[in-house]
Amino acid sequence: MPLKTVKKDTADTLTLEWILHVKNYKLALDKARCAGCQICSLACPKEAIKVEKQPKAQGEKAKKAKVDIDLAKCNFCGICDVTCPYGAIKLTLNGNHDLSVLAKESYPELVRDIKVDTRQCPKDCDDCAEACPLDLITVSKVGFGGKPVTNMEALTPSERSRVQINLAIQKEYCPTCRVCEYKCAPGVIKVHKFMEGKISIDQAKCPEGCTDCLDVCPITGALYLVDGKVHVNELFCDYCGACKVVCPVDEALTLKRTRILHTPVHSGTWNKALERLTSPVDAVKELKATGSKKAREAVCKRFVFEEVIR
Amino acid sequence: MSQPETDKQPAPEQLRIGVFICHCGLNIAGTVDIKELVEYSKTIPDVVYVKENRYTCADPGQEEIRKGIRDYKLNRVVVAACSPRMHEATFRRTVSEAGLNPFLFEMANIREFSSWCHPSTPKEATERAKDAIKMAVAKARLLMPLQTIEVPVTNKALVIGGGIAGMNAALDLAEMGFKVYLLEKSESIGGHMAALDKTFPTLDCSICIEGPKMVDVGRHPNIQIIANADLIKVDGYVGNFKVKIRRNPRYVMADKCTGCGECKDVCPIEFPNEWDLNLGTRKAISVPFDQAVPLIYTINKDYCIECYKCVDACGAREAINFEQKPEEIDIEVGAIIVATGYDVYLPYDMPLLGYGKYLNVITSMEFERLILAAGPTGGKVIRQSDGQKPHSVAFIQCVGSRDKNKYPYCSNYCCMYTLKHVVQLKEKYKEDIEVYVFYMDMRSPGKGYEEFYDRAREKGVNFIRGRVSRIDEDPKTHNLILHSEDENLGVPIEVEAEMVVLATASIPKKGSDELARILNLTRGADGFFMESHPKLKPLDAPTDGIFFAGACQGLKDIPYSVSQGSGAASRAATVISKPTWKIEPIVSVIDESKCRNVTVKCGICADKCPYQAIKIEPNKPAQVITASCHGCGTCVAECPQDAITQMHFTDAQILAQIRAALEKDPEDKILAFLCNWCSYAGADLAGTSRFEYPPSIRAIRVMCSGRVDRDFILEALRLGAGMVLVAACHLPYDCHYISGNYKMKARTDALKGMLEKLGMSPERFRVEYVSAAEGVHYAELIREIDAQMHALGKEKIKAENAKLKPVIENMLKRKKQ
Repeated sequence: MPLKTVKKDTADTLTLEWILHVKNYKLALDKARCAGCQICSLACPKEAIKVEKQPKAQGEKAKKAKVDIDLAKCNFCGICDVTCPYGAIKLTLNGNHDLSVLAKESYPELVRDIKVDTRQCPKDCDDCAEACPLDLITVSKVGFGGKPVTNMEALTPSERSRVQINLAIQKEYCPTCRVCEYKCAPGVIKVHKFMEGKISIDQAKCPEGCTDCLDVCPITGALYLVDGKVHVNELFCDYCGACKVVCPVDEALTLKRTRILHTPVHSGTWNKALERLTSPVDAVKELKATGSKKAREAVCKRFVFEEVIR
Repeated sequence: MSQPETDKQPAPEQLRIGVFICHCGLNIAGTVDIKELVEYSKTIPDVVYVKENRYTCADPGQEEIRKGIRDYKLNRVVVAACSPRMHEATFRRTVSEAGLNPFLFEMANIREFSSWCHPSTPKEATERAKDAIKMAVAKARLLMPLQTIEVPVTNKALVIGGGIAGMNAALDLAEMGFKVYLLEKSESIGGHMAALDKTFPTLDCSICIEGPKMVDVGRHPNIQIIANADLIKVDGYVGNFKVKIRRNPRYVMADKCTGCGECKDVCPIEFPNEWDLNLGTRKAISVPFDQAVPLIYTINKDYCIECYKCVDACGAREAINFEQKPEEIDIEVGAIIVATGYDVYLPYDMPLLGYGKYLNVITSMEFERLILAAGPTGGKVIRQSDGQKPHSVAFIQCVGSRDKNKYPYCSNYCCMYTLKHVVQLKEKYKEDIEVYVFYMDMRSPGKGYEEFYDRAREKGVNFIRGRVSRIDEDPKTHNLILHSEDENLGVPIEVEAEMVVLATASIPKKGSDELARILNLTRGADGFFMESHPKLKPLDAPTDGIFFAGACQGLKDIPYSVSQGSGAASRAATVISKPTWKIEPIVSVIDESKCRNVTVKCGICADKCPYQAIKIEPNKPAQVITASCHGCGTCVAECPQDAITQMHFTDAQILAQIRAALEKDPEDKILAFLCNWCSYAGADLAGTSRFEYPPSIRAIRVMCSGRVDRDFILEALRLGAGMVLVAACHLPYDCHYISGNYKMKARTDALKGMLEKLGMSPERFRVEYVSAAEGVHYAELIREIDAQMHALGKEKIKAENAKLKPVIENMLKRKKQ
């Protein structure tokens, strides 16, 4: 049977499929994990992804933007899967999560640099698990006998000192917001943000009483209210841009990504994605740093070209 | 190119006509009184020499003609003998050998049209022969010397379509020493055959036998393959076609790509492979199949993410260029061979068969890719639903073909490839598989085909005669339940199969309409290209210099396509092997001073021309592209200003024939206009077959019924003709000039209505269709018309004519102004 293409949009997931006789490509968007940021649409090399702002009912909280993928344009490369900070999109081939863009080094992997020294963990602390805004951390305690510990109170002090703390972080969904690091006793968790940038709110332009950005922000504490005005705590911001998408006033909220932490790669797709995710200037910076002359020239050429058009 | 000269009026010298009357042994002399003919001919004005011969076509007879021309200074020659379709060419040569222009010769048919068809009425036969000579002399008086037109020929050919037929045509032409351009739309030549697994009835591997041929084509110094390209425009005419082609970008430089495939290995992107009928995938930079010719990789920009990994892999070869643009190529060729092949019908619109709905219902072409070792499954026949080998497979024949609601024709090779599939399955899986074939008729005409059918039967395949009405799917197992009737048992049956294969119809190639427009081809009701003559010119398009090969003209299997390719090559060679191409000068010529397109928007002639041989530009007289003109004369009859003349069939010449025919007792005569290719040949056949019919008929030959001007019919009626007949090729496709008969029909329908309103009996003017094979029909037709004429009676006809005459005279007067 010739190529069968399927697109299913349910309340929980958006699924796209290519069903061939011997192969099955499936792209699934987990709507619960999706923050409605625009990272995937910026990274997509085929411009197949659209992020649409949802209408807000009077008196209700703002809804996060809706991500829609065009089945006709999508080529199931999986770049959205790789780039999504929240791991909301998953591409599978015959049920396996194998991404050929990574295998062939056509696209880099985001580096989620999280180091935990669980030896220093206080034995009765699970602040990190509680702090994680996305519930990605589970703390488990194992006693000396290798049995899981449920009640610390029942242990003797010596038993207590021998309890081993394990921290399981679901890294593939982690946007490296650093909330856990700050909530933790200093030094136990070290998180390196994979996206760096700058976010600011122009208080003069920000409308009084509007909390749209705050409503959609997936990281608790990255934005906060003071006297009816939204303020930014850059420490926690992961620069995903979900807030920027819903902001009703132009230029009230400025967001800039400057650097993205990734595995080394030499790829035109990445260069172009980087340009869109950050800015041509920042992309050139990275390329300069990696010394990729040819690619840098390509970006410069395009950048100059755009300048001329303006 | 020499234009036929229009301004040359009949020579100012005195007319000196010689009439040569042939006995044809006793064929003519046995019925017709030759002496009387000779005496009569001597009385015709301008006839200065009359000579009878036993056999005019024999050497002594021809010598008599040459002698007559020399001794009597004849400047027109009339030979009264057999049909001009028989010996016109012979006598033209004879007169030109004596130094006379061959077009100053005219024939009177007194054998097929007189002695042979009126044996029991010798007196009337002689009268008819006399009239035939009188008519021929009347036309001869007005004949003009004409020069054969010669156009230079480009000694190259273009083959459109690189399937097995096109490849063979290209190879044969190249071997003859001609330069050949082979235009291919897709990335590689090879066509459908390259996608097949085995070929029937020998079961040899398809690509193993085609691959070497593809390589030969690719390497031949005389063949230039232009692949991944579209035909944009074709101008010109036989021997001189100007072709514009657009080569689409591959983003890989053809001259630098070595075909190593290193780029493919690093490419991360896969997309559904159309070559595999989307059963499997190919890389965004790849070749459609390993044996592709030319072996140049192509980047599919629809799927490429431009990571440039291929550029890195290609390295110093630098074959990849993302900036490549479409390229326009202009070539000049003398002949074109169309070998565009066919498409396969996908039965999405037959919901009862469940194709597209049930996972395990596939088409034969898809099955072909499954069983092919190089296919997406590595030669394993597996079901899509579970990836397992089926234990029972049902094949359904004639899906879409032989179906009045879809494609009424038989797709020719489906029976055979299904037999191939079932034999393959049985030989591969032996007892492990049960095979059913549902068929209407098993058609196996061909060398070794019936034996192959026996082989399939011996393998224990269940052949069930009956059409499958419906297929249901078991939702749990995804097995299919087929509902049918076993015609041999006369009972309804149900068969459960794990896989169903549909032998779907083959249909005209997508884009055939566009190609037909570009090349001015016609398509039959089934959508395949129409050949010039179904029996005698199966390879020729109606447009000179264009030929057909393979399935684009009608579905055919591989050996037939190969032979057609070779045939088309030899037909094309008849054009491009000559330095010049001769065109009969019986073409249309436009009197620019009369053409009204100069002052008003007219263009009727261009509109009616079946060959688009007339060019119209605003405020300029119409222009005939002489080399494209086939000489049907339709435009001449259509021109409201009488500004167009067909050489050798001018208005004046034909009117003179009409007047000569109706000089005596017009009310007793049937005046017939016969088209050269069907009706005249049919009438000849009536003569040759000695079918007797009344001698009241007087026939005038025109090249095409489209030439029959309204004025001719009006003039005949003005002169008092008893009956008028226009006989043409059968509608819709028999016309030798594509559509001249249609144009004539439209014209005469209107005239008929008018004449009837004026009080003429409807049976007095008839339009009939007689094919070259219908001698009986012609004889019956004349008998019928003669009977009608007698039933009407001379007095009634006279009375009607008297009533018509003033109106017609008025109409003709206005015309002549």
